[in-house]
Amino acid sequence: MQFLMIFFVVLGGAGLSVEAGLLGPLGAEVGELWATFSIFGVGAALTFILMLFFSPRNSPSFFAQPSWTLTGGVLGPIYVVILTIATPAVGIAMTMIGILAGQVAKSLLIDHYGLFGTAHRRIDTKRIVALLFIVAALVLMAQS
Amino acid sequence: MTLIMIMLAVIGGATLSMQAAINGQLGSKVGVFRSAFLTFSTGALITGLLIFYFEPPQAVTLLDVPKWQLLGAMCGVPYIVIMVLAVQRIGTAVATVAVIFGQLLMSMLIDNFGWLGNETIHFSASRIAAVICLAIALYFIHSSNKTSA
Repeated sequence: MQFLMIFFVVLGGAGLSVEAGLLGPLGAEVGELWATFSIFGVGAALTFILMLFFSPRNSPSFFAQPSWTLTGGVLGPIYVVILTIATPAVGIAMTMIGILAGQVAKSLLIDHYGLFGTAHRRIDTKRIVALLFIVAALVLMAQS
Repeated sequence: MTLIMIMLAVIGGATLSMQAAINGQLGSKVGVFRSAFLTFSTGALITGLLIFYFEPPQAVTLLDVPKWQLLGAMCGVPYIVIMVLAVQRIGTAVATVAVIFGQLLMSMLIDNFGWLGNETIHFSASRIAAVICLAIALYFIHSSNKTSA
């Protein structure tokens, strides 16, 4: 059961790369913004259906939340537009590693300063070492 | 040029982890699917507005391209669902490493074979060295998540 779950998560990660792989060529054909729109349009339709059937019934309204917690959707398009622009230029693996470097670096900062209401957690050397190896991987990729 | 693109990708990753932190907060209050829906619908609205005012006319529209090119979101949304189910059962540490593993494996394959209409970038010694560096990085991310979780 555990093993099966891990397998599904690996598949989920592979799905993210396929998404990036589809986006690059699509953006070259119909324009970056249209390609981004196709992701968010279809995504909104799918998650609406999921929300309709699987969301807990009486969860609090969006309007009862502090407005900054609703800004996730503003950041999403930045990421997808970048995927569309970068993958044709440098390839999917390099884009993914760059994304990973940004993620790890930013998550260090978020945890360290306890930004966005997350638990305050000291900078942790293991993650810094991880970040260094990711940067090394980026350099190696750029050379090939 | 390559450098600018890598910088862009790094910035993209940074916005992604900001988004994850913010959505985590929201998801804990209103539920994961609701917060995912909010993300996608706000994203669709914003890109819609940007298209309306900034997108130059294109010769080809989304309706003209082969349908398989529109399956991107069908690969992204299952990820959200899988993560919701998996994190409860196998924990964040293992889930994070497994996702990144899947992402890298697939991106290497797509690059190497030029799948989905992408340019072919073959395996090379330095690419393999990069993968080894990443495996080490993953080990550290894993152990860091384990001690903090």
